[in-house]
Amino acid sequence: MTRGEAVSHALSLVAEEDIVVAADGAIAREAFRAHDRPRTFYMLGSMGQVLSIALGLAMTRLERVVALDGDGNVLMGFGSLAMVGGLKPTNLYHLVLDNGCYATTGGQPALSRRVDLAAAALGAGFAWARRCVSSEHGHMGLEAWLAAPSPASLTLMVDVADPAPAPRIPLTPEELRTRFRDALLRH
Amino acid sequence: MTGSLRLDALLAAGVEYVAGVPCSYLKKLFAGCEQLPASAFLPAVREDHAVAACAGAWLGGRLPLAAMQNSGLGYCLEVLTSLHLMYRVPLPMVISDRGDEQDFEEHRVLGQRARALFDLFAIPWREAVAGNEAEEASWLVATALERSGPAVLLVGKAVDS
Repeated sequence: MTRGEAVSHALSLVAEEDIVVAADGAIAREAFRAHDRPRTFYMLGSMGQVLSIALGLAMTRLERVVALDGDGNVLMGFGSLAMVGGLKPTNLYHLVLDNGCYATTGGQPALSRRVDLAAAALGAGFAWARRCVSSEHGHMGLEAWLAAPSPASLTLMVDVADPAPAPRIPLTPEELRTRFRDALLRH
Repeated sequence: MTGSLRLDALLAAGVEYVAGVPCSYLKKLFAGCEQLPASAFLPAVREDHAVAACAGAWLGGRLPLAAMQNSGLGYCLEVLTSLHLMYRVPLPMVISDRGDEQDFEEHRVLGQRARALFDLFAIPWREAVAGNEAEEASWLVATALERSGPAVLLVGKAVDS
Protein backbone atom coordinates (compact mmCIF):
# COMPACT_ATOMS: atom_id res chain seq x y z
CA MET A 1 0.00 0.00 0.00
CA THR A 2 1.30 3.47 -0.80
CA ARG A 3 1.03 6.32 1.66
CA GLY A 4 -1.43 8.00 -0.71
CA GLU A 5 -3.69 4.91 -0.83
CA ALA A 6 -3.66 4.66 2.96
CA VAL A 7 -4.51 8.35 3.44
CA SER A 8 -7.25 8.22 0.78
CA HIS A 9 -8.84 5.16 2.31
CA ALA A 10 -8.68 6.60 5.84
CA LEU A 11 -10.23 9.90 4.75
CA SER A 12 -13.00 8.05 2.86
CA LEU A 13 -14.01 6.48 6.19
CA VAL A 14 -14.01 9.77 8.11
CA ALA A 15 -17.42 11.29 8.78
CA GLU A 16 -18.11 14.89 7.77
CA GLU A 17 -18.12 16.12 11.38
CA ASP A 18 -14.95 14.27 12.36
CA ILE A 19 -11.88 16.35 13.18
CA VAL A 20 -8.62 15.32 11.50
CA VAL A 21 -5.05 16.28 12.42
CA ALA A 22 -2.55 15.49 9.64
CA ALA A 23 1.14 15.13 10.46
CA ASP A 24 3.72 17.51 9.10
CA GLY A 25 5.36 16.76 5.78
CA ALA A 26 4.16 14.25 3.21
CA ILE A 27 1.14 13.07 5.23
CA ALA A 28 -0.42 16.55 5.43
CA ARG A 29 0.29 17.18 1.75
CA GLU A 30 -1.22 13.81 0.83
CA ALA A 31 -4.32 14.49 2.97
CA PHE A 32 -4.77 17.88 1.31
CA ARG A 33 -4.55 16.35 -2.16
CA ALA A 34 -6.70 13.29 -1.41
CA HIS A 35 -9.58 15.08 0.33
CA ASP A 36 -9.13 18.65 1.50
CA ARG A 37 -11.71 19.58 4.14
CA PRO A 38 -11.93 22.56 6.52
CA ARG A 39 -12.14 20.23 9.54
CA THR A 40 -8.62 18.92 8.89
CA PHE A 41 -5.71 20.64 10.62
CA TYR A 42 -2.59 20.46 8.47
CA MET A 43 0.66 20.53 10.41
CA LEU A 44 3.61 22.10 8.61
CA GLY A 45 6.19 21.76 11.37
CA SER A 46 6.44 20.73 15.03
CA MET A 47 7.28 17.11 14.26
CA GLY A 48 6.33 14.68 17.02
CA GLN A 49 3.30 16.69 18.22
CA VAL A 50 0.48 15.13 16.20
CA LEU A 51 -0.96 13.15 19.10
CA SER A 52 -0.55 16.02 21.56
CA ILE A 53 -2.48 18.43 19.31
CA ALA A 54 -5.10 15.72 18.72
CA LEU A 55 -5.38 15.11 22.46
CA GLY A 56 -5.93 18.81 23.14
CA LEU A 57 -8.72 18.73 20.55
CA ALA A 58 -10.20 15.47 21.86
CA MET A 59 -10.38 16.86 25.41
CA THR A 60 -12.05 20.01 24.11
CA ARG A 61 -14.48 18.66 21.54
CA LEU A 62 -17.22 16.03 21.48
CA GLU A 63 -16.59 14.96 17.87
CA ARG A 64 -14.26 12.12 16.96
CA VAL A 65 -10.66 13.25 16.45
CA VAL A 66 -8.59 11.32 13.90
CA ALA A 67 -4.80 11.75 13.99
CA LEU A 68 -2.91 10.86 10.80
CA ASP A 69 0.59 10.20 12.06
CA GLY A 70 3.92 8.90 10.78
CA ASP A 71 6.38 6.47 12.33
CA GLY A 72 9.13 9.08 12.75
CA ASN A 73 6.64 11.40 14.39
CA VAL A 74 5.52 8.72 16.87
CA LEU A 75 9.11 7.87 17.75
CA MET A 76 9.91 11.55 18.35
CA GLY A 77 6.80 12.17 20.45
CA PHE A 78 6.79 8.79 22.18
CA GLY A 79 5.70 10.28 25.50
CA SER A 80 2.44 11.48 23.97
CA LEU A 81 1.38 7.82 23.71
CA ALA A 82 1.46 7.79 27.51
CA MET A 83 -0.68 10.92 27.75
CA VAL A 84 -3.35 9.42 25.47
CA GLY A 85 -3.15 5.97 27.07
CA GLY A 86 -3.26 7.50 30.53
CA LEU A 87 -6.14 9.91 29.94
CA LYS A 88 -8.09 7.54 27.69
CA PRO A 89 -10.20 10.04 25.75
CA THR A 90 -13.30 8.40 24.29
CA ASN A 91 -13.01 10.11 20.89
CA LEU A 92 -9.39 9.73 19.71
CA TYR A 93 -8.33 7.56 16.76
CA HIS A 94 -4.66 7.32 15.83
CA LEU A 95 -3.37 6.07 12.48
CA VAL A 96 0.37 5.53 12.00
CA LEU A 97 1.65 5.27 8.44
CA ASP A 98 4.86 3.34 8.95
CA ASN A 99 7.36 3.31 6.08
CA GLY A 100 10.29 2.48 8.36
CA CYS A 101 12.25 5.55 7.38
CA TYR A 102 12.54 9.33 7.34
CA ALA A 103 11.22 9.63 3.78
CA THR A 104 11.15 13.41 3.43
CA THR A 105 14.78 13.82 4.46
CA GLY A 106 16.18 11.18 2.12
CA GLY A 107 14.91 7.82 3.35
CA GLN A 108 17.24 7.35 6.31
CA PRO A 109 16.19 4.20 8.25
CA ALA A 110 14.07 4.76 11.37
CA LEU A 111 13.95 2.59 14.49
CA SER A 112 10.31 1.79 13.72
CA ARG A 113 11.83 -1.13 11.80
CA ARG A 114 12.70 -2.62 15.17
CA VAL A 115 10.03 -1.11 17.43
CA ASP A 116 6.41 -2.30 17.31
CA LEU A 117 4.45 0.95 17.58
CA ALA A 118 1.10 -0.82 18.05
CA ALA A 119 2.50 -2.79 20.99
CA ALA A 120 3.84 0.48 22.40
CA ALA A 121 0.37 2.06 22.16
CA LEU A 122 -1.20 -0.94 23.91
CA GLY A 123 1.47 -0.84 26.60
CA ALA A 124 0.76 2.87 27.12
CA GLY A 125 -2.91 2.12 27.76
CA PHE A 126 -4.70 2.47 24.43
CA ALA A 127 -7.96 0.48 24.38
CA TRP A 128 -7.20 -1.02 20.96
CA ALA A 129 -4.14 -1.30 18.72
CA ARG A 130 -3.25 -3.32 15.63
CA ARG A 131 -0.36 -3.49 13.19
CA CYS A 132 -1.06 -4.46 9.59
CA VAL A 133 1.77 -5.53 7.34
CA SER A 134 0.04 -6.45 4.06
CA SER A 135 -2.02 -4.17 1.86
CA GLU A 136 -5.08 -6.43 2.12
CA HIS A 137 -4.94 -6.51 5.90
CA GLY A 138 -4.28 -2.80 5.94
CA HIS A 139 -7.55 -1.99 4.21
CA MET A 140 -9.45 -4.37 6.52
CA GLY A 141 -7.60 -2.88 9.47
CA LEU A 142 -8.73 0.64 8.59
CA GLU A 143 -12.38 -0.44 8.72
CA ALA A 144 -11.90 -2.20 12.08
CA TRP A 145 -9.93 0.71 13.54
CA LEU A 146 -12.67 3.33 13.32
CA ALA A 147 -15.19 0.86 14.79
CA ALA A 148 -12.89 0.02 17.73
CA PRO A 149 -13.08 1.48 21.25
CA SER A 150 -11.11 4.71 21.82
CA PRO A 151 -8.27 5.40 22.12
CA ALA A 152 -7.38 3.19 19.16
CA SER A 153 -4.09 3.10 17.28
CA LEU A 154 -3.61 1.41 13.91
CA THR A 155 -0.14 1.02 12.43
CA LEU A 156 -0.13 0.40 8.68
CA MET A 157 3.05 -0.60 6.93
CA VAL A 158 3.25 1.51 3.76
CA ASP A 159 5.67 1.58 0.82
CA VAL A 160 8.83 3.62 1.04
CA ALA A 161 8.45 4.51 -2.64
CA ASP A 162 6.19 7.47 -3.39
CA PRO A 163 5.61 7.43 -7.16
CA ALA A 164 3.68 10.73 -7.24
CA PRO A 165 4.52 12.97 -4.26
CA ALA A 166 1.84 15.49 -3.34
CA PRO A 167 2.75 19.18 -3.75
CA ARG A 168 3.02 21.66 -0.89
CA ILE A 169 -0.24 23.01 0.53
CA PRO A 170 -1.00 26.36 -1.14
CA LEU A 171 -2.33 28.08 2.02
CA THR A 172 -0.46 30.03 4.68
CA PRO A 173 -0.31 28.65 8.24
CA GLU A 174 -2.57 31.46 9.42
CA GLU A 175 -5.12 30.69 6.69
CA LEU A 176 -5.03 27.00 7.62
CA ARG A 177 -5.61 27.61 11.31
CA THR A 178 -8.35 30.19 10.77
CA ARG A 179 -10.25 27.99 8.33
CA PHE A 180 -9.98 24.97 10.65
CA ARG A 181 -10.97 26.79 13.85
CA ASP A 182 -13.85 28.64 12.17
CA ALA A 183 -15.21 25.33 10.82
CA LEU A 184 -15.13 23.80 14.33
CA LEU A 185 -16.63 26.80 16.10
CA ARG A 186 -19.56 27.01 13.67
CA HIS A 187 -20.90 23.76 15.16
CA MET B 1 -12.70 27.88 43.50
CA THR B 2 -9.68 25.63 43.13
CA GLY B 3 -7.74 26.60 46.27
CA SER B 4 -5.11 28.38 44.14
CA LEU B 5 -5.45 32.17 44.03
CA ARG B 6 -3.46 32.37 40.81
CA LEU B 7 -5.42 29.62 39.06
CA ASP B 8 -8.73 31.12 40.20
CA ALA B 9 -7.62 34.48 38.79
CA LEU B 10 -6.64 32.87 35.49
CA LEU B 11 -9.98 31.04 35.27
CA ALA B 12 -11.76 34.31 35.99
CA ALA B 13 -9.72 35.90 33.17
CA GLY B 14 -11.04 33.29 30.74
CA VAL B 15 -8.71 30.28 30.92
CA GLU B 16 -10.66 27.06 30.23
CA TYR B 17 -7.95 24.42 29.82
CA VAL B 18 -4.57 23.81 31.46
CA ALA B 19 -1.70 21.59 30.35
CA GLY B 20 1.62 21.48 32.09
CA VAL B 21 4.47 19.81 33.91
CA PRO B 22 4.85 20.72 37.62
CA CYS B 23 7.51 22.83 39.31
CA SER B 24 7.98 23.17 43.06
CA TYR B 25 7.59 26.95 42.58
CA LEU B 26 4.09 26.28 41.20
CA LYS B 27 2.87 23.79 43.81
CA LYS B 28 -0.29 25.71 44.65
CA LEU B 29 -1.23 26.27 41.03
CA PHE B 30 -0.79 22.57 40.20
CA ALA B 31 -2.73 21.55 43.32
CA GLY B 32 -5.53 23.76 42.00
CA CYS B 33 -5.34 22.09 38.58
CA GLU B 34 -6.20 18.76 40.20
CA GLN B 35 -9.55 20.26 41.17
CA LEU B 36 -10.44 20.97 37.54
CA PRO B 37 -12.72 18.65 35.53
CA ALA B 38 -10.80 15.81 33.83
CA SER B 39 -11.32 17.36 30.40
CA ALA B 40 -9.80 20.68 31.51
CA PHE B 41 -6.41 19.55 32.84
CA LEU B 42 -3.70 17.60 31.04
CA PRO B 43 -0.84 16.45 33.27
CA ALA B 44 1.63 16.41 30.38
CA VAL B 45 4.73 14.21 30.33
CA ARG B 46 6.94 16.90 28.79
CA GLU B 47 6.55 20.61 28.20
CA ASP B 48 6.54 20.48 24.39
CA HIS B 49 3.55 18.13 24.52
CA ALA B 50 1.81 20.49 26.95
CA VAL B 51 2.08 23.49 24.64
CA ALA B 52 1.08 21.38 21.60
CA ALA B 53 -2.03 20.15 23.46
CA CYS B 54 -2.80 23.78 24.35
CA ALA B 55 -2.73 24.61 20.62
CA GLY B 56 -5.21 21.76 20.05
CA ALA B 57 -7.48 23.10 22.79
CA TRP B 58 -7.40 26.63 21.33
CA LEU B 59 -8.16 25.30 17.84
CA GLY B 60 -11.08 23.47 19.44
CA GLY B 61 -12.44 26.69 20.95
CA ARG B 62 -11.08 26.81 24.49
CA LEU B 63 -8.63 29.31 25.93
CA PRO B 64 -5.63 27.31 27.19
CA LEU B 65 -2.89 27.87 29.75
CA ALA B 66 0.51 26.16 29.75
CA ALA B 67 2.26 25.86 33.11
CA MET B 68 5.82 24.66 33.61
CA GLN B 69 9.30 25.07 35.05
CA ASN B 70 11.60 27.25 32.95
CA SER B 71 13.82 24.21 32.36
CA GLY B 72 11.11 23.00 29.95
CA LEU B 73 11.56 25.96 27.62
CA GLY B 74 14.15 24.21 25.50
CA TYR B 75 11.74 21.40 24.75
CA CYS B 76 9.05 23.95 23.87
CA LEU B 77 11.05 26.07 21.48
CA GLU B 78 10.36 24.06 18.32
CA VAL B 79 6.61 23.96 19.03
CA LEU B 80 6.39 27.62 20.03
CA THR B 81 8.21 28.67 16.85
CA SER B 82 6.70 26.32 14.25
CA LEU B 83 3.21 26.07 15.73
CA HIS B 84 2.23 29.00 17.97
CA LEU B 85 4.33 31.75 16.37
CA MET B 86 3.97 30.45 12.80
CA TYR B 87 0.20 29.76 12.88
CA ARG B 88 -0.43 32.64 15.32
CA VAL B 89 -2.00 30.63 18.14
CA PRO B 90 -2.62 32.43 21.46
CA LEU B 91 -0.90 30.82 24.46
CA PRO B 92 -0.88 32.25 27.98
CA MET B 93 2.03 30.65 29.88
CA VAL B 94 2.87 30.55 33.58
CA ILE B 95 6.53 29.66 33.95
CA SER B 96 8.55 29.36 37.13
CA ASP B 97 11.49 31.73 37.50
CA ARG B 98 14.27 29.36 38.51
CA GLY B 99 18.00 29.83 38.36
CA ASP B 100 19.23 32.67 40.55
CA GLU B 101 22.52 32.26 42.40
CA GLN B 102 20.75 30.80 45.44
CA ASP B 103 19.03 28.14 43.31
CA PHE B 104 20.51 24.76 42.45
CA GLU B 105 23.17 24.63 39.71
CA GLU B 106 20.98 22.67 37.27
CA HIS B 107 18.55 25.59 37.03
CA ARG B 108 21.04 28.36 36.36
CA VAL B 109 22.24 28.04 32.76
CA LEU B 110 18.81 28.17 31.13
CA GLY B 111 17.04 30.00 33.95
CA GLN B 112 19.34 33.02 33.79
CA ARG B 113 18.81 33.27 30.01
CA ALA B 114 15.06 32.67 29.87
CA ARG B 115 14.24 36.39 29.60
CA ALA B 116 16.75 36.80 26.75
CA LEU B 117 15.13 33.81 25.03
CA PHE B 118 11.67 35.41 25.24
CA ASP B 119 13.08 38.68 23.93
CA LEU B 120 14.82 36.88 21.05
CA PHE B 121 11.48 35.52 19.84
CA ALA B 122 9.55 38.71 20.75
CA ILE B 123 7.45 36.84 23.33
CA PRO B 124 6.06 39.33 25.89
CA TRP B 125 6.83 38.53 29.53
CA ARG B 126 6.53 40.02 32.98
CA GLU B 127 7.26 39.01 36.54
CA ALA B 128 4.55 38.12 39.04
CA VAL B 129 4.47 40.04 42.31
CA ALA B 130 2.73 39.02 45.53
CA GLY B 131 -0.97 39.78 45.80
CA ASN B 132 -1.42 40.88 42.18
CA GLU B 133 -2.97 37.71 40.75
CA ALA B 134 -6.07 39.22 39.16
CA GLU B 135 -4.28 42.00 37.30
CA GLU B 136 -1.51 39.65 36.15
CA ALA B 137 -4.02 37.08 34.90
CA SER B 138 -5.87 39.76 32.92
CA TRP B 139 -2.60 40.98 31.42
CA LEU B 140 -1.48 37.47 30.50
CA VAL B 141 -4.73 36.50 28.77
CA ALA B 142 -5.20 39.88 27.04
CA THR B 143 -1.60 39.93 25.80
CA ALA B 144 -1.71 36.37 24.41
CA LEU B 145 -5.00 37.11 22.63
CA GLU B 146 -3.89 40.52 21.31
CA ARG B 147 -0.62 39.14 19.99
CA SER B 148 -2.17 35.83 18.88
CA GLY B 149 0.89 34.10 20.29
CA PRO B 150 2.63 33.11 23.49
CA ALA B 151 2.81 35.45 26.49
CA VAL B 152 4.63 34.63 29.71
CA LEU B 153 4.10 35.31 33.40
CA LEU B 154 7.26 34.44 35.35
CA VAL B 155 6.54 33.19 38.86
CA GLY B 156 9.30 33.26 41.47
CA LYS B 157 9.54 31.11 44.57
CA ALA B 158 7.93 33.65 46.89
CA VAL B 159 4.84 34.34 44.76
CA ASP B 160 3.34 30.85 44.41
CA SER B 161 -0.30 31.32 45.31
